[in-house]
Amino acid sequence: MAGTSDPHASAFSAAELEFLAEDEMIEIVPNLRMDALNFISGDFGPFRPQIPTQAPLWLAVALKKRGKCTIRAPEWMSVDKLTQVLEAERDSDKFQPLPFHYVEISRLLFDHAQGDIPDTYMVRSLIEDIKDVRFHKIGKGLESISGGGTFALKLKNLSAMEANIVRPFVTRALETFYKLSSSDMIQETDNAPNRQQTANRGPRVSYMFMLYIVKSPTDAQRQLKDR
Amino acid sequence: MYGRKASELVKEFASVEHGQIFTFNNDLFAQVLEECDGHLLHLQPLMRKIQEHEDKLKDKNRSQEEIGTSEDEMSKSQAEKTLIQNALKSDQFGALVHHLSLVRNKRCLMAYVYKRAEVIRSLGWMVDSVLPEEIQEKLSTSEKEYFKNHAATLQSYMAELDLHLTVDMIPPKDPYIKVRVLDDIGEIALSDQVANLARHAIMFLRRTDAEQYITQGQMEELTG
Amino acid sequence: MDSGAGESSAADDYESLMSTTDAELLKSAWRNEKAAPEILNYAADLVQRSRQQIQLMEEMVEDYINDGVDPLTVSLYQIDLDRTMFLLRSYLRTRLQKIEKYVFHIQKTAEEWNRLSKQEQKFASRFAGDIKHHLDQSVLSRLPDQYQSHLRQSAASEEDDMVPEPQLDSYVVCRSKKYLGAYQLDDGGQELINIEADDLYALPYKSIKPLVESGQVDLV
Repeated sequence: MAGTSDPHASAFSAAELEFLAEDEMIEIVPNLRMDALNFISGDFGPFRPQIPTQAPLWLAVALKKRGKCTIRAPEWMSVDKLTQVLEAERDSDKFQPLPFHYVEISRLLFDHAQGDIPDTYMVRSLIEDIKDVRFHKIGKGLESISGGGTFALKLKNLSAMEANIVRPFVTRALETFYKLSSSDMIQETDNAPNRQQTANRGPRVSYMFMLYIVKSPTDAQRQLKDR
Repeated sequence: MYGRKASELVKEFASVEHGQIFTFNNDLFAQVLEECDGHLLHLQPLMRKIQEHEDKLKDKNRSQEEIGTSEDEMSKSQAEKTLIQNALKSDQFGALVHHLSLVRNKRCLMAYVYKRAEVIRSLGWMVDSVLPEEIQEKLSTSEKEYFKNHAATLQSYMAELDLHLTVDMIPPKDPYIKVRVLDDIGEIALSDQVANLARHAIMFLRRTDAEQYITQGQMEELTG
Repeated sequence: MDSGAGESSAADDYESLMSTTDAELLKSAWRNEKAAPEILNYAADLVQRSRQQIQLMEEMVEDYINDGVDPLTVSLYQIDLDRTMFLLRSYLRTRLQKIEKYVFHIQKTAEEWNRLSKQEQKFASRFAGDIKHHLDQSVLSRLPDQYQSHLRQSAASEEDDMVPEPQLDSYVVCRSKKYLGAYQLDDGGQELINIEADDLYALPYKSIKPLVESGQVDLV
């Protein structure tokens, strides 16, 4: 849905997210000699055989397709690292740090540089599992915020694709509440311990699945510290 | 039942798939407009009567103030006033119903035209200035005119910028793809090279050149 | 915040501090425009510079082809060019679509009218005329006198109650490049939030509108 300003639709299509991801840098090992490229989007190269260098993903893929380089799998795309991430995702309600475009980057690499990814099947399957666990968490989180009492969401460590999916749901779940609320009539509906007074109300910031009602800026500091 | 036809119009629009369009429902549209005329016919005499009631009440009030009246005359006048006020209220409610129905019909009619116009414009992004026959058939006369005007407006903007905006609707991809040749096709002059398309050969071709062979099963695109 | 079509000086200062390239600015402008519910300030200077760069690049590619520079290099420059063109076109297109959607509102709201480029203003005026004519012809001229306005339900309405407006309350996802500290989310001064660098926040657009305008946060 390119160009729609409908708040209930995703802002970016999958193709557009991929387009954005294609600007992410990645390491390549060229097998040719080529002068520096001075693109509108930036300067890259020069390229010398066997000398690793950085290039944007779209350029790396283009060179790879033409047989002019191999691509070095990014550090995070190893069986070890991904296994760690998957375990951590399963053990915690929070989201693990991953590259913002991890979904698109991995897809592009699998489509065009599979041979350059060690343990490619294992890596692929780990990423799928990670995606699933995170999706499931998103679903649970969205349920928890629609009870009201939430004004803003901190989406810590969410990726581009996940944020794009969450956005319209958040709009739907929160905007009704937000429209109805004003400084003096916010309803407190959940059961966190210390939320009696209406007098000194700080921000109502939900840390995806942990609804903190923050009373004051100092309260915010304290709670932000133990994320 | 007031408003039912207008609801049908709106429902028709809601039921269509995104980006598609039904034939302009001239009948239903005309019926809703007729309903509006009907409401007006009721509304006009009601507004007159309301005015009359209000005038009568004003007179009564004035006469009560100016001429000193006896208690009997006062209560008689009061009773008359109440009658008029009741009639006034009833006519006001009647007028309100017609007014609100009219407004609702107007909103439905406008939404219908508006939403269809959105779809017509979105089709315009894909086909430039001429709509295919099968779409044209579904449009009202005014819609056809609107499309022409809109296309001209858009053209004018693009001309001023000297920029085509109806291309590049999706993010660009590498114009070249890697393919494996499946059949012995032989030497072919492509758009940018002369290539020997031998069976099993892995080649690097322009997507536009390869597409026809791929569809015919003589080549396959390689990924990974 | 001045409301002329073009970037404000505050945004220019901030951007030069961050020393972002035009390519990145164009990408940001595109992203923000796609994600924001209302039309944003027209990035006049940026568009002009981008078009100049595109033209230079097109000429260079022409030269390369004529000079027999190797096709590999040429094809790579071509992809870069295609990508930039896409951003530019999609940026302008997204704006047009917003103008189409909210044209009557934009026409009567000076703040928003001023965010349009001159050409967009011309487009908006013509567009408004086209759709009004179509509505008049199809519907309004066939309704009773008091109900013929395309902006109001009837002469009895106290204000223009039929004009679609962008929903500024809708939620957007944003990210700040730098730590911004405590930021006040609403008018009442009650809602404060701590904005960290690089973290994502889902908030009503209205509450961070000034941050988007000044370029301190990006919408994603």
